[in-house]
Amino acid sequence: MSLAIRQVSKSFGQHHVLNSLDLELKPGELLCLLGRNGAGKTTLLRILTGLLRPEAGSVWLENQQIDYAEPHARHDIGLVMHQPFLYEHLTGIENLRFYARLYQVADDKTALEAASARVGMQRFAHKPVRAYSRGMKQRLTIARALLHSPRILLLDEPYTGLDLQGSQTFNQLMLEQKQQGRIILMTTHDLSHALPISSRFAFLARGRVSDELTNQNLSLENIETWLAQKLAKPVSAQKGAAA
Amino acid sequence: MKDWLHSVRALVWKDLLQEWRSKDMLTAMFAFAILTLFIFNYAIELSPVNRAEIASGIIWVVIVFAGTLGLNRSFTSEQDQGCFDALVMAVPDVSAIYFGKMLTNWLVMLFVSLLILPIYSLLYNQSLFNAGFILVLVLGAWCYSAAGTLIAGMTVQTRMRDLLLPILLFPILMPVNMAVVKAAGGILAGAPLVNVQAWLVLLAAYGIIVTTVSILVFEYVIRE
Repeated sequence: MSLAIRQVSKSFGQHHVLNSLDLELKPGELLCLLGRNGAGKTTLLRILTGLLRPEAGSVWLENQQIDYAEPHARHDIGLVMHQPFLYEHLTGIENLRFYARLYQVADDKTALEAASARVGMQRFAHKPVRAYSRGMKQRLTIARALLHSPRILLLDEPYTGLDLQGSQTFNQLMLEQKQQGRIILMTTHDLSHALPISSRFAFLARGRVSDELTNQNLSLENIETWLAQKLAKPVSAQKGAAA
Repeated sequence: MKDWLHSVRALVWKDLLQEWRSKDMLTAMFAFAILTLFIFNYAIELSPVNRAEIASGIIWVVIVFAGTLGLNRSFTSEQDQGCFDALVMAVPDVSAIYFGKMLTNWLVMLFVSLLILPIYSLLYNQSLFNAGFILVLVLGAWCYSAAGTLIAGMTVQTRMRDLLLPILLFPILMPVNMAVVKAAGGILAGAPLVNVQAWLVLLAAYGIIVTTVSILVFEYVIRE
């Protein structure tokens, strides 16, 4: 089961964000997508969720084009975006229960408390979300994204707000997800945390993947140097490389 | 179908629980309704002759304008934390979001109506607790919620949503407004239900048509 993004293009007005982008992810692989602000990382994730339609191109899972009109296609995806997707006046458990009911997975107290315990939120699960810090919301968001055991995980800046312990818990969860054969696409600027769990790094520039780096015992210094070189290059030069 | 109903039930449970805790919609709607009732009470001198005709108009104006406040809020609460995207991803069919929101708006409108009827009775010395009158309000609120939820889903993604919602909604509601005021006025004046049957049929037909069409088109309305 692999996820293939083929010739995907997207523009907003005159601004071409994605330009015939190709990318393939294998099961058990975590691809860390890097790029400048505005490079199109979030746009790509939104296209993969089906929330945004590309002007051209398609997304394939297991050699079948994803039909986002099908509920099971959307249920294959677990999503963490900038916004937490949580209801402030409900407790953590109530939020999880609501999403569990929509996804039609176990919504009993034991299952939901176990889901919140996975992200270290068991002590706060019965408090309203409006009393949570940003990091606590992010933990609950991660629990919500994993609630229905999706085959694909799309994570936009998942380390936002997480403390050291939260980041380690998240990394542990992602390693488990990789072992279970999930496909994970993550954007982040936090290389130190992303390095131990990433299988590959891809650099997005001018709407395409301009370069990739496989993580074969890379050091943080290696990846930072690679990224610094990419960021230092003028965008026009990267366009040439991508072409 | 079972999955769809399951999602609708979850959405209504969530919306009502959230509303009960925050009271965002209820407070605004109730405050507006009370204020308007008081203003009408001072502005209009009701005689026993014109009381029945005017009561239906006053009550419906209060419910409609208070309902608009609630409609605006019903989708902005989803936008605040980006929850709308998560809903679209999670429901078996996007129309479940429409139907769940429509039911919540309807229930909240009926709850506000239930609160303001005794206050009206007290202020205007006229009992409105008449089964026929309540039937008209229930049907009218359903029609209002059915059309209003669809338009609110459309306008919530625009910056001018507070202005756009009433501009787009009120013309569509003209048949409902007319039917409610005529039917309720007739019932309060003591006419038998059969005399206002045509208005009731109009309301029921409007509710069925708008709800069905909205379920069919909601996905296109909210998509990019």
